Amino acid sequence: MKKSILQSTIATAAGVLLLTGCATPTTYVDPSGSRMVANVNQINIQDFANAADTMVNSLIDNLINQGKLQSGVPSEPALLAISRITNNTSRQFDTNLLVKKIRVALLRTGRVQTTTTMNLGGPEDPLAADQQKAKEFFEDKKHTRLPDYTLSGKIIQDRTPAGDINQSAFVFQLSLSSNAGIAVWEEEKTIVKQGSAAAIGF
Amino acid sequence: MTTKLFAGIAAGTVILLQSGCSTVNTLEPAQPVAQRQMLNDKRVITDTGLYGRVRILGVNIATGPAGFLKIQVEIQNLTSSPKSFTYRIEWFDEYGMIINLPTMTAIPRSLEGKETASITAMAPTDRAKDFRIKFLDQISN
Repeated sequence: MKKSILQSTIATAAGVLLLTGCATPTTYVDPSGSRMVANVNQINIQDFANAADTMVNSLIDNLINQGKLQSGVPSEPALLAISRITNNTSRQFDTNLLVKKIRVALLRTGRVQTTTTMNLGGPEDPLAADQQKAKEFFEDKKHTRLPDYTLSGKIIQDRTPAGDINQSAFVFQLSLSSNAGIAVWEEEKTIVKQGSAAAIGF
Repeated sequence: MTTKLFAGIAAGTVILLQSGCSTVNTLEPAQPVAQRQMLNDKRVITDTGLYGRVRILGVNIATGPAGFLKIQVEIQNLTSSPKSFTYRIEWFDEYGMIINLPTMTAIPRSLEGKETASITAMAPTDRAKDFRIKFLDQISN
């Protein structure tokens, strides 16, 4: 009886050890590298970075580098507010995965700043909004600086199955509107992926 | 029966060869109007296989009115079949320090057989004075 229990315990332990040995170990991967996991039916983190990179390149090339970006306050960077970014894909995700990257990159250009107190559906930073109101009250300021530009957009998915192969096209559309309501910059980036299952790399 | 089988195999082979070797025909002005400012580049080749398939023909640079650097890298697929690879661009300030951004990522690219294409990129800030481009062969599963 004792021998049988001992044998089964050893067998279980050996099994556990073997299973642990065969499992793929968790590794850290450079998010800007080429070894990210990609799949067909969803936007992966590297796709957001790729789309944001295209958008920022286009904004710098067509607006900032051409000296066309105008600020309401001379000698200060232009003020940007984030408007509606619609996710029209089959998956749920936070659009900040795209927008935050663009905001960071634009801030680093030194030519654009983003307001956190004037946003669609309420301030992004409520405390900053309260502080702004208090400052305006105590300093007897009558006008808050309004954004010079607003950023809006849409992310659309188009799926095309063909036999064993699936194709997903993700279309990123962004527009920058002036405070006169005119789209002064627009860009579209399409990322197309084909495959049947999750795979390493692009 | 055997003849028909051989004919079928031959036709299939021809179709496979043709689909695997589609190359690109191009047309451009014999005397281009644009004056390119080409850059003397330094290349470090560790993947001779990739370099033998996808060649960097040249890099030209331009600076816009606001002082942002723009680069254009001309690349060519030397083979007769489509090739996929990724590239990543790094920017450096006047002190040689890297400028990190969340938008920096390896970008996938593919070229048809013998196709020539251009990769363009804008410096993320007017402080960016130098750059480095890394090319990597497509990672297979």
